[in-house]
Amino acid sequence: MHIAELASRDCASRRYFMRRTALFSLGVGLSYTQLANAQTAPKKAKALIYIFNRGGMSHLDTFDPKEGEALMGKTTAISTNVAGIRFGDKFEKLAKHADKLAVINGMMSFNAEHERGTYQMRTGYNRIGTISHPTVGPFAERLLGKPSGQILPASVLVGESTSNAGYLDPKYSPLPIADPSGGVPNTTLLTETERFDKRMSIANKLGEQFVAKYNYAGPKSYVEYYDQATKLLRSNELSAFDLTGESNREAYGMTRVGQGCLLARRLVEHGVRVIEVINDGWDMHVGVDQGFADKGPQLDQAVAALLEDLKAKGLLESTLVAVATEFGRTPEINFNAGRDHHSIAFSTLLAGGGVKGGQVWGKTDKQGKKVVEGKVMPEDWVATIGYGLGINLQETIFAPNGRPFTFSDKGKPVTQLFA
Amino acid sequence: MFYASSRFAHRLAATLVAVASLSSVHARVWTSADGRPLAAEFVALQGENVLLKIAGGRTIPVPLARLSKADQEAAGRFAILGDDTATMRSAKMIDALLAKNLVKGGIRSFNQPLPDDLFARRVYLDIIGRIPTREEFQSFAENSRPDKREALIDELLTEPGRASHLFNYFADMFRLNGNADFAPGQRAEPYIQWWKDEIAKNTHYDVMVREMLTANGNIGQNPASGFLLRDAGMEFDAFSNFGQIGLGVDLSCAQCHDHPFADWVMSDFYEMAAYFGNTQRTMGQYAVADSMGMKRATMPNAPDGWVDSFRKFAQTKGLNLEDPDASRPFNFFVNNALGWNIADNATMDHPVPTTVGEIGGQVFKPRPIVGDKPGTGGKTRREALAEWLTAKDNPRFALVIANRMWSRAFGRALLEPVKDFPLEWAKATGQPEVTAFVAEEMKRVNYDLREFMRILYNTKAYQTYATAAEPASTQNYLFAGPVLRRMRAEQAWDSFMLLAHGEQIDEIKGRDGSFYKELLNVNFEKDSFEAIWSKYEAFKQNRGRGYGSTMILASESGSLSGVEPDVPKLGNLELIRASEMVQPAPGASLVDTFGQSDRIITDQHTYDGSVPQVLALMNGSITDRLTGPTSKVVEDLKSLDAEEDKVRGVFFTILSRFPSDEEQAMGVEMLDSYGDDGIRDLAWALINSPEFLFIQ
Repeated sequence: MHIAELASRDCASRRYFMRRTALFSLGVGLSYTQLANAQTAPKKAKALIYIFNRGGMSHLDTFDPKEGEALMGKTTAISTNVAGIRFGDKFEKLAKHADKLAVINGMMSFNAEHERGTYQMRTGYNRIGTISHPTVGPFAERLLGKPSGQILPASVLVGESTSNAGYLDPKYSPLPIADPSGGVPNTTLLTETERFDKRMSIANKLGEQFVAKYNYAGPKSYVEYYDQATKLLRSNELSAFDLTGESNREAYGMTRVGQGCLLARRLVEHGVRVIEVINDGWDMHVGVDQGFADKGPQLDQAVAALLEDLKAKGLLESTLVAVATEFGRTPEINFNAGRDHHSIAFSTLLAGGGVKGGQVWGKTDKQGKKVVEGKVMPEDWVATIGYGLGINLQETIFAPNGRPFTFSDKGKPVTQLFA
Repeated sequence: MFYASSRFAHRLAATLVAVASLSSVHARVWTSADGRPLAAEFVALQGENVLLKIAGGRTIPVPLARLSKADQEAAGRFAILGDDTATMRSAKMIDALLAKNLVKGGIRSFNQPLPDDLFARRVYLDIIGRIPTREEFQSFAENSRPDKREALIDELLTEPGRASHLFNYFADMFRLNGNADFAPGQRAEPYIQWWKDEIAKNTHYDVMVREMLTANGNIGQNPASGFLLRDAGMEFDAFSNFGQIGLGVDLSCAQCHDHPFADWVMSDFYEMAAYFGNTQRTMGQYAVADSMGMKRATMPNAPDGWVDSFRKFAQTKGLNLEDPDASRPFNFFVNNALGWNIADNATMDHPVPTTVGEIGGQVFKPRPIVGDKPGTGGKTRREALAEWLTAKDNPRFALVIANRMWSRAFGRALLEPVKDFPLEWAKATGQPEVTAFVAEEMKRVNYDLREFMRILYNTKAYQTYATAAEPASTQNYLFAGPVLRRMRAEQAWDSFMLLAHGEQIDEIKGRDGSFYKELLNVNFEKDSFEAIWSKYEAFKQNRGRGYGSTMILASESGSLSGVEPDVPKLGNLELIRASEMVQPAPGASLVDTFGQSDRIITDQHTYDGSVPQVLALMNGSITDRLTGPTSKVVEDLKSLDAEEDKVRGVFFTILSRFPSDEEQAMGVEMLDSYGDDGIRDLAWALINSPEFLFIQ
């Protein structure tokens, strides 16, 4: 396919064509292929719940506590249900699930600025000014497809009011749900159903002629989208977004992250492959203790409830749960009793979806400043998620401008995290 | 490298001779009030007279009052837009060149001419970015003057909506973002407003580009500096974007490796980028060593030591610079707001990033990637670049913008993608003659985009039905007419605003950045520290509101204060045109949902549908406003009695066309059965039939 495509490009220079041909026919790319074979996950997860703690979540106060160090501030370390694994004291509930968790304390990146850091942790690529990369959901759908007949989208972004698919076709854009308890916007009919149906049938009738007159994809696609929207409105699938009937709503916590995780679980049950839950509020330059008193238990409760719930419903083995942030925070506590941006050491979590629980990957120095063992870069992290979803990390796709891309920027998955 | 265009210039010359004989025929025939004709070109309005150039080249004054009413109006339009002789000649030339290719391609002629109703809808949307009101539509439909189409095009070209709509196009192309993107917290409203102002004044495009490329100072001192400041810290990406915008070549591959598909090598990229090599964009990029050997940041364009002196002054005002909380806004004001500031700095250079292969760390000398190297004689690198780029013999600049403007009118460019087409472009288009011609026309009109669009809108090719079947590829498309297009997000939004609030939306101004511009507009040489301190205080006061960047400078003189713009609202929704909203529009707004660019990458607007889009059209608050209990559509039709008129009125209002007999009958039946509710249902159905979103 590559060769045919390259040959058909009128601007393709012979130089490049020759080079690529050599690559494919002379076996220069052999090691590449071998690598690809080695990187297919044995047991792939069917779904991903990616909880992203935006703002920069401190590693010292969460999953990489440094016992007895002055820089810990008010945070103390507590033991978990796995010997040797210790968490910050705000994570009592999660401590009971350490046996399900792979803790990664070797995260590091070179982006200490929020937007770039977030971008890299969500796409596996550095943010640049010339192309926009897709996040995990759209990329996974592009490579793995969407089950036919599924009414709900393949990916949902909870906690944001807008989304995009980067350089991919916009049809891959995740459905944005700004408020996890608010449901899908504009799904309440303006009139009673009967009148809506009448209006819709007139609209269809009026549209028919127009659509027949022009043989273009555009108007036809709108007919299709009206059809999908009407199906959605008539289906029971919208109930996936209705949290009111959930008996264990309180168990997740009546917080945005709690309800976001609950919504995510419901969406997994309805066949959505990737759900990102954005959890804001971690940029604790001022008063890290107050900040953690608030955000820590919210996250603790939400993730613990999610793991329990998935387990109880038999979904944990097929659902990869990832908890991350754009960077960590300085071990030193600043003038304002806060911690500042610190990208060269931070922590993330993985659970479910074939992940081997009860392990810690990577290690920072005594003060949590630098990674000394098991370094994982953002592209490796995203590649690890892709590996868990059974994505072929070597598969090349082309952006509309002809640039070739793979899932995550040459990231190496940490395969040891999986059973 | 650009022999292509000269090869066609030759063929073109022959065709031009053939058409030249047409042109003398075209001079406008003016008619006196008593019906006598006079073939003449418009020269100028002078008091009560219009100066006309008659055969033989003599200019004579003719009292306006002696001309027919239509010609008096024409003189008024021409006073702004200029005479139309050359315009019409050029339009005919385009038609002739296209027609020749059509015949060669086996098609006998252009698509069927557009009927008046569809013509009106299209030019309103294309020129001023919204559908016509029912009254505007009707007055055009009922007008029987033979030159009414040309007159409407001219009229719309002088309306404020033209600037709003063209702004949206450039906002996408130049990635205009209120948030400075790569410089978190910085705001760019004064730069965005500069774009709107220059477009409204119809400043020629080459002039704007030169201003942006050569700007010095911060966005308060010189708003055009926003172009280079936008990517401070991402200089090489900025250059990649510049290549796409200015030259229609995407060099981004060559930023990290030799270009895989074109013949660009990395040194091409870095030699070209070196034109910005000593462009300093922030304070931090220019540190000087003090007497102790410590690096000390210096304010660009300010006397040496200005920052230190101003910091000392701040201390006399009681600011504790040691207290990070207290000094944070002050530091942001100095280092970021004022210090986001362009200067040429001969002592600095941007070496190739060390992550880039074997050439990492090298510094390249400037050299253009096409054409000859410009002389530098006393000019700065950026001045030399700007001159080279906009020179008449630059092989790409006119071509790129002409091709883009063509695409705005016809829905397809002559060369696609517009930001990256081959150097030997003539092979990449099915229309090399027209392409060469319009590029030359762009130069002839001196990059006056309003005049250029006037030419295109007056072509026969433009004034036809959209081609019925989607062309498979641009390369083979014969332009028998425009292609069917979906409205841009901003066109859809502005049309809804029109339906919800009437044509006054064209006049409502939103966030002009004037307050922020005033805060940052300091004269480092002349302004007293006291005066600059008071600007800082106003800046700090608005810390929680983007430092006042979206406010309007209060008109009372003397005090420095900003006010929120006074705009009409529907609940929380501001009823203003997309160009007047924060740029880009907030997520979850209809503008965003319909695909407005996020303004991070060039030309990122999308035209695709989506489920959230149609849900908003079915059930959103704007649809409710138009079809609900307080329907503006129903209210506006109150004055009409006959059901037939009401039905026609709904079609005029929403689709700007006459209903077919069948549609009319269906509408009347709905009104018969349901009264005003029938109108609401019909309006809802028209908004939700795909036709509404498309430009035929």
